[in-house]
Amino acid sequence: MTNHLATAISRIRRSPYKTAAAVSIMTMTLFLASVFIILAAGSQVLLKYFETRPQINAFFASDYVPPAQEIDKITTRLQATNLVDQVKYISKEDALAIYKDLNQSDPLLLEAVTAGMLPASLEVSAKDPSHLRSLADQLSREEHIDDVRFAEDIVNSLTTWTRSIRIVGGSLVGVHVLITFTVILLIIGIKVSERRDEISLLQLIGASPGFVAAPFVWEGLLYGIFGAGCAWLVTVIILLYSMPFLVTFLAGVPLLPPPWWFFPGLLGTEILLGIILGGLGGLLAVRRFLKS
Amino acid sequence: MISAHNLTKRFGDITALDSVNFTIAPGEFVFLTGASGSGKTTLLRLILRELKPDSGTLQVEGTDLVQLSLSKLPQYRQGLGPVFQDFKLLPDKNVWENVALPLQVRSIKPTDIASAVKLALDLVDLQNRTQLFPGQLSGGELQRVAIARSVVGKPKVILADEPTGNLDPKTARTIVKLLKDIHSELKTTILMATHNADIVNHYSLRVLALENGRLIKDDPKGKYD
Repeated sequence: MTNHLATAISRIRRSPYKTAAAVSIMTMTLFLASVFIILAAGSQVLLKYFETRPQINAFFASDYVPPAQEIDKITTRLQATNLVDQVKYISKEDALAIYKDLNQSDPLLLEAVTAGMLPASLEVSAKDPSHLRSLADQLSREEHIDDVRFAEDIVNSLTTWTRSIRIVGGSLVGVHVLITFTVILLIIGIKVSERRDEISLLQLIGASPGFVAAPFVWEGLLYGIFGAGCAWLVTVIILLYSMPFLVTFLAGVPLLPPPWWFFPGLLGTEILLGIILGGLGGLLAVRRFLKS
Repeated sequence: MISAHNLTKRFGDITALDSVNFTIAPGEFVFLTGASGSGKTTLLRLILRELKPDSGTLQVEGTDLVQLSLSKLPQYRQGLGPVFQDFKLLPDKNVWENVALPLQVRSIKPTDIASAVKLALDLVDLQNRTQLFPGQLSGGELQRVAIARSVVGKPKVILADEPTGNLDPKTARTIVKLLKDIHSELKTTILMATHNADIVNHYSLRVLALENGRLIKDDPKGKYD
């Protein structure tokens, strides 16, 4: 194995332009795959986040304090629909506490507002975003409820985006994987062709097909590993560079910074994909020659 | 032992070998003679199993080459030591690495490879050229490297296809003497294709002569006609 690896490294060093082409295309595809993985995983986390938030806010009139029996009745009617996951009552005092928490950095806003100015409300989570509209309609028919707001559009948009990212991103990555595979096949195919005499000699002195193929497969594997390393580095640099902006943009969403295993996991996935692409490309290129 | 019975090989309409029959005993040194296109190289390629006969049988050291499967082919070839007219040395490997190649394909331990390569290079008197590359060697030295490569794995049969074809007469005689010495020392069967009359006549060994694919002479102490 050491011998084959050394042979592959020596061949890579002797053809720097072919190596640059192979590693570049591999880097591009694996970078694209990383972006796709990050976008797909990120949008999924975002969707989960919004799905678990209270999706409907039903506000009572600001001068009305609902009695406990009325809250219970509304809650019972909502739960009877079997579409509701959770109902939570937010009193005027609770609303003020939330308001203070959100605006603690602005004393002017805090001074201007009292509990009496804020309406009491009900926070309702639906089991499925598709039920939001009917639950909102039901709440708006309640006697003392003044205003109903719900996040149907956000969740729907996110669901559409997540699906689109998966389809478009997946297709794009798929096409790039095919292009990369073809390029690796061609580059190693050219190298196999250049070493036609050497391969013939090896076969004549009793080399097994595995022995002949091994350095070419190693070559493909090394392209994959180099490409994965480069793609990972580019992804990490871009992600770390844009982290401050993203953290501000996604304030409150538990998406960033990513968990500790994210970057090693991404590297592992890229190396695996690179190894499969490069190794398979090398194997098929030399197999085609050995068969002919 | 190499034994051919009614061995025939055709390339389209051309019959390269036509019902050839012979037997070469273990340890024999045989010259295979004939003009260009007489079928010498075809016969050697059949023995190397680069080609398959169209009819007849060919057995080498107990292996039936007509029945030999592709999976057993590498193992069979490891028992042969081919020497080519154009040397077929790998230009990006040095002398030592070229000679070690037949042992590396058998996954032999590096320490065993080192000692076997040293012995082979001693045999062809190239122990001082181990780090040189083929581009830095003369024609005679190149052929000696090729011979060292053919004997390093202690083959049962050495197949030499015009090994002196690209060499001047003096170097050619040195190379054949080297092969003769190896034959005496290792008792390896050697089948050497040549159309060098001087060499054939000088050694008076067994001669198989081909003409238009037919075996026209099998003489135990033959001369080149």
